[in-house]
Amino acid sequence: MVDLSQELFGTTFQNPVLLASGTCGYGEEYSDLIAVDELGGIVTKAVTPERRLGNPPTRISETPAGMINAIGLANVGLDGFKREKLPWIREHLSRAKVLVNVAGRSVEDFVGVVEGLEDEDGFLGYEINVSCPNVEGGTMFGTDELSLAQLVAALRRATRRPLVVKLTPNVAEIGNFARICEENGADGLSTINTFPGMLIDVETRRPVIGNVTGGISGPAIKPMGVFATWKATSRVEIPIIGIGGICNARDALEYILAGASLVQIGTAMFADPFTAPDTIRGLREICERQGVTRAADLVGALEVR
Amino acid sequence: MIRSWSPVVARERVAEETFWLEFDAPEIAEQAAPGQFVMVGFGASSWGTPFLPRPNSVAAAPDGRVGLLIRVYGAGSRRISELALGERVLLLGPLGTRFELGDARNVLCIAGGVGLAPFLLLPRWLDRQGREANLRLLYGERVGAVVFNPEKIQEIAGIEADIWTEDGSRGSRGTVLDGTGLDGADLVLSCGPTAMLKAVRSLARTAGVPCQLAVEEHMACGMGTCIGCAIPTIDPETGEDVYSLVCTEGPVFAAERLRW
Repeated sequence: MVDLSQELFGTTFQNPVLLASGTCGYGEEYSDLIAVDELGGIVTKAVTPERRLGNPPTRISETPAGMINAIGLANVGLDGFKREKLPWIREHLSRAKVLVNVAGRSVEDFVGVVEGLEDEDGFLGYEINVSCPNVEGGTMFGTDELSLAQLVAALRRATRRPLVVKLTPNVAEIGNFARICEENGADGLSTINTFPGMLIDVETRRPVIGNVTGGISGPAIKPMGVFATWKATSRVEIPIIGIGGICNARDALEYILAGASLVQIGTAMFADPFTAPDTIRGLREICERQGVTRAADLVGALEVR
Repeated sequence: MIRSWSPVVARERVAEETFWLEFDAPEIAEQAAPGQFVMVGFGASSWGTPFLPRPNSVAAAPDGRVGLLIRVYGAGSRRISELALGERVLLLGPLGTRFELGDARNVLCIAGGVGLAPFLLLPRWLDRQGREANLRLLYGERVGAVVFNPEKIQEIAGIEADIWTEDGSRGSRGTVLDGTGLDGADLVLSCGPTAMLKAVRSLARTAGVPCQLAVEEHMACGMGTCIGCAIPTIDPETGEDVYSLVCTEGPVFAAERLRW
């Protein structure tokens, strides 16, 4: 019998497979099709202080082995989340761990959302989105070392819950940003958010995406996500959640071997909502075949030479 | 909502770049209503083109099969149009809202291009519900070469289509709107290109006839998680300008809700 569980953030994840922010709504949306509570966890759609309507259409399009999106953090806002979304989470997710993704334009925005949620129950901690390429200022904190340090320090003062920072790959040296998060009190990191990109309609000579630019996700970015995860783990002691193009257990294992303690599945859930449960089953099968009894032993087990 | 790997059981080229496909998917066929759609995909492990599934309006549901009318616009629809008999695709559905007939007795259906699909399902679906209504179907295409065979329409839907083409090579010459007399209609339903839908809406508004429109948008998930298929709408309760998701709040909208 293979043990897929992972101990981190002071709790036990029953397996390392989470659903990525922005691809699973608030969990309820998938509950018709899959047993969401059997997953390692979910990361909610970003929550901002106020409701956001999001960007004008077209918001998404397919790109080679993936997609481009510019949703613009459309979400129900802090009050809407507490009133409309958190009750379902509280009632239906007891074993799957929930991270609330938090976004904003200023330190006050981020801190305000966290403080507004601090007394609620039904979720484990926060994933701080400093890496959205599709809103004004969305990557500001993620690409500026001083701003990031101040934000993480302020959030650390605001909460005792697990604090995970989701990093952008769009920096010269992701390890520096990982280190800054750790030094300022982050409990973990998510690597990576989407890559900024464009798609142009050559007939109309216009950008396909209403926002002009968007973020690229899907299998196309998996090697870069694994690389960023590997780079980040070499610089910090805190656990890392690997994200980017994971479609199956072998993809998940690449991230785990590179140093990720957990993984998130995102874009592939659109191609098939069974991707997450299939990945959990696949991890178990690979571990059995390789004679691995604890999947946790594979974290960072990459042998470079 | 059903997820099923379903084989192609019928495939026919019915016009230029236009194909009729049927999939063996009994549970989806049982539930699907006119206006609703299925996502047609290839699974997450085959991440060639297309990676994302494509939304397609359910056009027929005979004997446990789901019929789709596919026109080739890009790489995704091309791949779907080239499916071989027996090949399996991942179907998710039925999804979205359907046309709501309410108490309407005389229903005018206006279809442009493959916007014909939901109106192929409508007559037999009404029969199955034991619901009677007089349906009139106007079907327009730009050129005759892409017109879906009228005999096939009759066979699938049990209804005769009044065909209009802009080049006049099939049916009557003109746009489908030239054929639109609202005489006696107490409900207008339409699906097709946005320009046509806008014209239908203003026609219905002028005549004071309720109108429902089925719209299209790029989609990744089809079930409300990606928030990618948002279109500008008016909140019916507050009158605010908002966005609505075509996948879950649509694809069928009351015409007055659309903010074009």
